[in-house]
Formats: sequence, structure tokens, C-alpha cells
Amino acid sequence: MKNRKKMRKRAGLACLNLFFIVLCFVTLIPILYALSVSFNAQNSLLSSDFSFLPRQFTLDNYREVLFGEDILLWFGNTALLAVSCVAISLAVAIPAAYCFSRRRFPGRMAVIRALVLLNSFPAVLSMFAVYRLLRPLGLVNSRAGLVLVYTGTMAVFSLWNLKGYFDTIPVELEEAAKIDGASTFRLVRLIVLPLAKPSIIVTGLMVLIYVWNEYIYATTFMTGEDKYTLAAGLYSLQATEMSGSWPVFAAASIVVSLPVLVIFFLCQRHMVSGLTAGGVKG
Amino acid sequence: MSLKREKRRDNPRQKRLPSNAKQRKTTFWSYLCSAPSLILIGLVVVFPILYTGYISLTNMNVYHWFDFDIIGLDNYERALFLVDSGFLSALLATILWTIVNMVIQLVVAFVLASLLNIESLRFRKVYKTLLMFPWAMPGYVSILLWKTGMFNSQFGLLNQWMEKLGLEAVRWLSSDVSAFICCTVVNLWLALPFMIMIMDGALQSIDKSYYESAILDGAGWLRRTVSITLPTIRPIIGPAVIITVFTTFKQFDVVYLLTQQAGAKTGSHFHTLITYTYENAFITNNYGYSSAISILIFVLLLVFSWKFHLEEKS
Repeated sequence: MKNRKKMRKRAGLACLNLFFIVLCFVTLIPILYALSVSFNAQNSLLSSDFSFLPRQFTLDNYREVLFGEDILLWFGNTALLAVSCVAISLAVAIPAAYCFSRRRFPGRMAVIRALVLLNSFPAVLSMFAVYRLLRPLGLVNSRAGLVLVYTGTMAVFSLWNLKGYFDTIPVELEEAAKIDGASTFRLVRLIVLPLAKPSIIVTGLMVLIYVWNEYIYATTFMTGEDKYTLAAGLYSLQATEMSGSWPVFAAASIVVSLPVLVIFFLCQRHMVSGLTAGGVKG
Repeated sequence: MSLKREKRRDNPRQKRLPSNAKQRKTTFWSYLCSAPSLILIGLVVVFPILYTGYISLTNMNVYHWFDFDIIGLDNYERALFLVDSGFLSALLATILWTIVNMVIQLVVAFVLASLLNIESLRFRKVYKTLLMFPWAMPGYVSILLWKTGMFNSQFGLLNQWMEKLGLEAVRWLSSDVSAFICCTVVNLWLALPFMIMIMDGALQSIDKSYYESAILDGAGWLRRTVSITLPTIRPIIGPAVIITVFTTFKQFDVVYLLTQQAGAKTGSHFHTLITYTYENAFITNNYGYSSAISILIFVLLLVFSWKFHLEEKS
């Protein structure tokens, strides 16, 4: 009797494991298919005997992506944009977030309320207005224009997320340092910033990932291919029913995704604490 | 984001306001330090919204780029009262889209998270990591991979399988209903990992002794789920669910990239509100009308978030 119960339990567990293995495989099919196509030498796409393991292994598609297309140029553009956006975002958001967290001044609550409301506004909706405003200023089709748009769009999030984290740091530490005669600047640099490091890292990462993934402004505002970001470039490489090469596009997708995947899995734990403490979730 | 907490913190501090001069100095420095951030937000976020409001009152379009006239509320009238304007059907489609996606998402995430929490499951961590991949990939890359890798009528995997089964190739994205289903599948694929994580965390926080005493009292699985599990996880998953409702309602990437891309439309007429606005601004170049819809959506979102705030308070 007891034996039979044990057997049944074991069979159930085996079924559960099988279920999850199948589920994981089904979930990963689009990614696995892209991987296999990108490594496959034969152009066997139109034949029906397809397998998830490439028949003839090759790196040609990757060579084509890295050296045949402008991807290195786009990578440079993206890196330049990302670094300037992260630097400006943090430089602008940290002092503001600190003031909103620690100081009390007229208009503070009104701004905080307005920020909550602004956060629900999808940026795509005002894109035309932004375009029309930036064009006479010569900021359309220029990197400075994109930096302005990206930092502005992420400014609400950065300010709110950092302020939320500053709120969780006890004030007592700063008060003690103040009694010892430290200036506000020293106090922020030596006490607050080191304590807020997780949140600063996560905020910077979110800006970085946003710039890395943003394609709609990048394709609408930039016309020359030499100014494209990675996202806009990949968008232009995609294989349609008519044109483009699916294996090259698959290889390019993998190349573009890898850095984001690495960052995501390295910072997974940070992500949760750095985001939840601020009270905002992506 | 809780304003409630904010207010409570505010009051005791304001009672011990320092001397007038000192307060004035604090105010000055606070304004100075937050000015760059607030000016940036004002320029890139607030001013364009106000400008969108202004455009919505004009007949600006590609023929009236400079010499547009103010035409009052005509654009709003057209969106709200002209039955075949497309706005109302897009609104209905968006509501249907949000409901379908949220219901499937919550049910599937709950079932999978419960299964992941069965005690004797040993490789839980491996499964969880593998299931996180759709969340970790850049969203637009995944969507484009789905578009070409799965749905494309020549080299898409789905049609290769159809061929193997001896069926005819299907143009998956070309009719409204099948495009809606395809978009839903992709959206679920993208959104489920986050929901599973949230549910998983919530389930782990339940005290196991509740279940033990319930089993002793002879409560079945259904009874335990309804009276213990659901009431306990509800407040924990609440905020995440609300945020997901908003992102689903505002979904643009999935629908746009799969079916509406400029120059590569697939022939489906399924629109969410945001893709409908985009089409009117950048494809048919009807700027005044598109701006009016933008403002309507913004108002709608404001009402929603205000309602959710009230609910959160009570």
C-alpha cells in the first residue's frame, strides 16, 4: 500500500518535470530557431527538413554581420549616445532627487504629484509635437536631439526612482555628520552616494537599456544610415517577405541581444531591490 | 508609487520649520539643484503635451504645415461621435485586448507559479532561469524574431510545420482575427515571465502552517486555493497587476512591429489606441486629429490612475 503511494508520487513528479522541460523548450523555440539559422551554412530555409541543430556549422553569417554591414558603426553610435545619456541623466537626477527627498520647500508636493501623472503618459503620443518643436532648432537628424529626447523621457523615472531610494536611507547618519561640521556637498559625496549605490546603478542601467532598445524615435528622427543606433539598424536589416536575409538578420539579433542578456542575468538580484525600493517597476 | 506615505512623512517635519532666513536659503538651493532635471522634464515631456493639446485644436496636416487654422473642438467631435472614425473601434479593441491578455496572463502565471512551488520539484531554479529569457531579451528583437522566425509565410516555422502536416501555408498576420491572436501570443510570451516571478514571490510568502491546519480540517485543493492562497497573494501582487494592466493597455511595440510597420503593413486592421494614434500622425499625416486622440488617451489614463489611487487608499 505504502509502496504504491510512493510509486504514484514519483510518477507524478516525473510528469511534472517532463511538463517543465517541454514548456521551457516551447518557450525558447523562437530564440533557438534564430540561433540555429544563424549558424547554418546550407541555405536550407525553404526545404522542409528543418532541425534545431545546424547541419553544417558556419560563422559566415556573423562575419557578414560584423564586417559586411554597418553594425560596428551603429554600435559606436549607440555607445556614444548611451554614455552621454546615462551621464547626463544621473548628473541631473541625483541632486534633484536628493532635494526632493531631504528638503522641504514650497511646491514640492505639487511637483511630486505631477511626476506621478506624467509617468502614465506614453512618449509615442507626443512624438509628433516633439518632432515639430525640434525641427526648427536643427535638432532633428542630430545626435544632440536624440540625447535631449532620451534624457528628458527618462528624467521622470530617474528622479522618482532615486528619490524613492534616498527616502529609505535613514537621515540620522547625515545629521550626525552635520554636527561634526561636514558641508552638505561632502556629506552627500561621502555618505549618501555610497549608500545609494544600488539604486544609482539600476537607474543608470535602465537608461542604458532604454537607449539600447529604443527604435521608434531613432528611426523617425534619424535619416542617414550612418547615424543609426543599433536598434534602428537592426530594424532596417529585418527580413521582410520581399527582401533582406533572414540568416544575417538572425545573427544580428543575437549579437545585439547578447550584451542585454548578460547585463540582465548579472544584475537580476540588484534589479529587484533597486527598483522595488523606489516604488517603480519597469 | 504611493503618495499616501509621502503625505504622512511630510507633516511632522513641517512643524519644526527652521527660522525664516534659513528656510529661504534651503528653498533657494533646492530650486537650484532640481532646476536642471525639472527644466529637462518641462522641455521634453510637459511642453510637448501642451503643444499636442494646441495642435489638437487646429486642422494641421501635411497640406497645412504652416498655414493651419484653429478649428475648435472639431477633431474631438470627429473622434468621439463619428462612428466610423476608427477611434471608437480602436478603443473597443484595446479594451478587449487588455481583458483577454490580463485574464490569460493571471491564470497561466498562477498555475505555473503553483507548479513551480511544489516542494519535491528539484530543478526549479533551472526552469525559472530558462523561463526568464523572454523577459531578458530586448523586446523589439524578440518581436521581430517572432515576425520573421515564426509568422513569416515563407520561412516562418509555423508554415514549415503546416507544410509537413500537408496543409496549405497561411498568412498569419493578414486578417484581423488571426493577427489579434498572434499579437496576443507574442504579448503573453513577453509578459508572462514577470508575472510568474511576482506570483512565485507571493506564493513563497504564504505561511505553510495555514495549509497544514486546513488539510487537517479536511479542506480540498479548491477550498484551500479560494480561502487561503488567493486572499493572501492578492495584496502582494496588486500593484504589479495594476502596472501590467497599464502597460498592456498602452501596448505599442507588439502590434506595430508585427502588423503595422511603415511600408510593410500586413493587411490586418487590428489597432490598439496607441498604434491608431501613431498611424494618424506619421502614416496618414493627420496631425490635428491624431493630437486630439492623444489628448483623449491621456485623459483616459489620468482617470484610470486616479481611480486606482482611490482604490489603493480605501
